[in-house]
Amino acid sequence: MHKTHKTHRTHKTKMTYKTHKKAFAAASLLAAAALTLSACGSDDSGKSPVAAVSEESSQGAVTVLDQPFKKPDLVLTDTQGKKYDLRKETAGKPTLIYFGYTNCPDVCPLTMSNIAVAKKQLPKAEQDELRVVFITTDPERDTPAALGKWLKGIDPRVVGLTGDFATIQAGARTLGISIEPPHKDKNGKTVSTHGTQVVAFSPKNDGGYLLYDEEATVDEYTKDLPKIIKGENP
Amino acid sequence: MNSVKPVRYLAVPTAALILAGCGSGSGSGDAKADLSVSAAYMPQPVSDSMAAGFLTIANDGGTKDELTSVTSDAAGSVTVHETVGSSMREVTSLAVPAHGRLVFKSGGNHLMFDKLKHRPMQGEKVTVELHFADSGPITVEMPVKSPTYNPETGH
Repeated sequence: MHKTHKTHRTHKTKMTYKTHKKAFAAASLLAAAALTLSACGSDDSGKSPVAAVSEESSQGAVTVLDQPFKKPDLVLTDTQGKKYDLRKETAGKPTLIYFGYTNCPDVCPLTMSNIAVAKKQLPKAEQDELRVVFITTDPERDTPAALGKWLKGIDPRVVGLTGDFATIQAGARTLGISIEPPHKDKNGKTVSTHGTQVVAFSPKNDGGYLLYDEEATVDEYTKDLPKIIKGENP
Repeated sequence: MNSVKPVRYLAVPTAALILAGCGSGSGSGDAKADLSVSAAYMPQPVSDSMAAGFLTIANDGGTKDELTSVTSDAAGSVTVHETVGSSMREVTSLAVPAHGRLVFKSGGNHLMFDKLKHRPMQGEKVTVELHFADSGPITVEMPVKSPTYNPETGH
C-alpha cells in the first residue's frame, strides 16, 4: 500500500482553477469520480480528495492553499444534543475540521490524537482559542452521546458534530473531501469512510488555508499550531 | 476468539501486496515459506471496544504463504482489513509473497480488534496468534504504544 499511497500524493492536485465557482463545480465532479473509483475498489487513484486551488505549495504533510476554502455552512448537533452553527460558533477562531467516525480503529483516532497531543503543548490561552471540530461521517451510529464518549477519550474540548448524512456529505464536498454513506458489507458489518485531510481555518478571514494529509504527525501539528492560531503560514 | 470471517476476494489489488520490490521469484524456490514477524504494535485505543494493530510479516522462504486468520484472547474478534480509498474492507486472507513481506501500517492494511475484553493501555501487551494457509501459527506479543505512536520516528 505504501507505494500506491506515495503516488497519490503527487496526484493530489493536478488541476488548476481560476474562480471559486468553477473550482466548486469541478471539485464536485471529481469527487463523484472518486466515489465511483472507490466503489469498484481496485483502483485507489481516486483516493485523495481534490483540493480546488489555483496554486499551492506543499511541504511534507501540509499543503498551503492560495485560494482558501470557505467554511462549510453547516448547522449540526453537538455532543450535548444542541444545535451548533459551525460558521457562527467558530467565526474569528483558528479552527481545525476533520471528518471521521468513531468505529474507526486506525486513522480517525490517530488523527484526532495527534491534534490533541499537539494542542496540549500550546499555552493555555491559545488552547482556549483553538476550535477542533470532528464531524461524523457515520451519523447513524455516532449519536451525540457516542461522539461525546469517544471524544472524551481524546480531548473533551473537541467539538463533535452529527446530523443528517447528506448535509454532512455536502459540507465535506465544499472542502474537496468526498465521503460515502455508510453501507453494510456482506457480513452485515457497517463500512464507513473518513476524510483523508484535516482543514485548518484562519482566524483572520475564516478561510480554510491549510490541508493536512493523514501522514501529518504530532510533531508537524506541534510545530504548526502556534502559526495557525495567528492565521500564519507554517 | 472468532477468526477472520470469509468475505470473498473482490478485486483485491494484489499489486498493493507486493511490497519492497521483492515480489518476484514466487514459486521459484524449493524452500518452504519461512515466516517471521516484526514491528508489531497496537496504538492505545480511544474506544474501549475497538483497536487497531500493526505488524510486518517477512517471508524468507521461496514459497508464498497466506495469512488466513488472526485470533486473540484480548478481543471477541480480530479481522484483517485493507484500506481502499478512505474506507476499510475486510479480507479473508492476505498473501505473504516468497522472499517478500506483508506489511500492516497505519492508513493501509491493519488488524481490527473488536469486542475488546478491556481497553488495552500503553505498556501492556496483547497476545495475538497468526494463522497461515501452510505455515504453523505464530504467536506475537504486541506491545501497546501511545495513541500517537509513529513507527517511523519510534515515538
